[in-house]
Amino acid sequence: MTSTLPTAPAVMIEARGVEKWYPNGYHALRGVDLTVEQGEVVVIMGPSGSGKSTFIRTFNALEDFQKGTIVVDGMALSNDVRNIDAIRREVGMVFQQFNLFPHLTVLQNLTLAPVLVRRRPRRDVERQALDLLERVGIHEQAHKYPGQLSGGQQQRVAIARSLCMEPRIMLFDEPTSALDPEMVQEVLEVMQELARDGMTMVVVTHEVRFARRVASRVVLMADGEVVEQAPPEQFFTAPQHERSRQFLSQIG
Amino acid sequence: MNTSPSTRLQRLRRELFASPLDGLISLLLIGGMVAVAGSLLRWMLVQAQWAVIQANTTLFAVGRYPLEQQWRLWLLTVLLALATGLSWGLLRGLPAGRARRLWPVNDRVAVALLIGLAVLGPLMLGLQPLIQLRWWLIAAALIASRWAAGRWATAIPTGLRRWIPLIWPLLYLAGMVLISGGLGLIAVPPSEWGGLLLTLLAASFAILLCFPLGILLALGRRSALPLLRWASVLYIEFIRGAPLITLLFLGQNILGFLLPGGLAPDRVWRAAWVLTFFAAAYVAEAVRSGLAALPPGQLEAARSLGLPIPQALIHVVLPQALRVALPATVGQFISLLQDTTLLSLIGLLDLLGTARTVMANPAYLGRNAEVYLVLAVLFWCCCAALGLGSRALERRLNPTTDHPAQA
Repeated sequence: MTSTLPTAPAVMIEARGVEKWYPNGYHALRGVDLTVEQGEVVVIMGPSGSGKSTFIRTFNALEDFQKGTIVVDGMALSNDVRNIDAIRREVGMVFQQFNLFPHLTVLQNLTLAPVLVRRRPRRDVERQALDLLERVGIHEQAHKYPGQLSGGQQQRVAIARSLCMEPRIMLFDEPTSALDPEMVQEVLEVMQELARDGMTMVVVTHEVRFARRVASRVVLMADGEVVEQAPPEQFFTAPQHERSRQFLSQIG
Repeated sequence: MNTSPSTRLQRLRRELFASPLDGLISLLLIGGMVAVAGSLLRWMLVQAQWAVIQANTTLFAVGRYPLEQQWRLWLLTVLLALATGLSWGLLRGLPAGRARRLWPVNDRVAVALLIGLAVLGPLMLGLQPLIQLRWWLIAAALIASRWAAGRWATAIPTGLRRWIPLIWPLLYLAGMVLISGGLGLIAVPPSEWGGLLLTLLAASFAILLCFPLGILLALGRRSALPLLRWASVLYIEFIRGAPLITLLFLGQNILGFLLPGGLAPDRVWRAAWVLTFFAAAYVAEAVRSGLAALPPGQLEAARSLGLPIPQALIHVVLPQALRVALPATVGQFISLLQDTTLLSLIGLLDLLGTARTVMANPAYLGRNAEVYLVLAVLFWCCCAALGLGSRALERRLNPTTDHPAQA
């Protein structure tokens, strides 16, 4: 499933020994390592409270961490605001609750950041935004407001909004958990399409079928640590660790 | 709306006289209302002596503003009427997204009220014919500009239309020059402003400045920087813990030292600044409630798209927070307008202060009721206008209720 570039694939995310304590003293991440190469789709699974959302939110500095290093697309995360903004421009993020801007139309949701941050001409961005909306199948809703769309449509808009910034990496934080069951598939199909086009993706999800079909690697986290990582076929049929087996029996 | 008179009468009967007890209560209430309205009307038409108002209209309107300079105020009134008509037409003449209707029903009612007020007001006040004519022309200008704006707004390119609200700050600056002088106009010091002019000036100054100040304070209160946060909390809690009248007296004494030279040169400006600082604390609390109502995911989404904090605030957070805070903020503006009456207690001749000097005149002994009634009606008109404007703005800012979702 990994992309077959002629040269060795570049490392897009390199996390080493990441540790995080919340202000209340809770030790959320206990030395997590993860490497994501260009074009890989890494699915992170694990019981709730295992730190998987916290972990991927450190990649674009929505969460800080106290120990360890994270290098994203060649840029080491630091507390420098300019550095953080530079990384966020290259990393798209899709949230569980969509987080579309309700006071802007769908089209304005897509064009806001590229026009303001990348300083591209509005006309170009709008054309690209309409293309993206067509790609995620909601071209005709461009001038509606998010509140007028279904959950699945909103999440597809959110994906298109991130893509409009032309990111090199996409993070998905439980993108289908807030959706009604019949809308999960339309969002997963868009994500699958994206993976096929070679986007580097880190996905926190409980969707086993998606992981089996799309993931290059499945990572199981528990109690703030990586317990196991393996190709999906191996992970779901022959998990190596007791904790993985326990988790799979709970969700299976 | 197409119910026939008979069914409407039936509905009225059903609502007011459903049972004998209901009927009794309705009759008592209606009787009471008729009695109160009747005696008020009888007093207004028979007993009241309106000479106290009629002889002092100029004093109530502008205080001791020099007579030969009053054309500047007339000019300002005309400009205000034109700008009001323009904004009104743009806000209401073309509702976004729906089929255009030049004159919605409410607007027709408003215009009818306006014409009634413009015709009857000057007549009842016994103004000189020339001044009556001026008011009629001003009302006509307002309605004409409302009509023109509603009629031709779509002809203005959208890019240009976005800048039209800017006429208000420009007009405000122009108004300040017209009122106080400068740029070749003779200076009229604030000590000569009075009446409605002073009331509206102090209120509008405070409203305009307390709004941005309140936003900054609200953001400061939620800031991650402890010093900024504590300074904002301290300020807000101090101001909210002190009565305005105390602050007004305090301001007269210490504001001269606190503000850089020239910003509070005399008692009027000092009072206006105190009103501003006072209202800012309350506006900050209203805005804070708007900010608190916003899901944290909004800022996270904006930040993860690479927007720096100032742009995330301007384009994502504040538009939503201010919409939530708007009703409470306008409520604050309305009480601010009413709070300007306290200026009379520190010896300024605002509307109430002017009224008190008029009532102190032995010639108008015992005419307090007439004066206070007119004052109350004037304040009610101003506050109603603020309320109407804010509701129109609220509807305008609320896209999701304006275009209901298709099921």
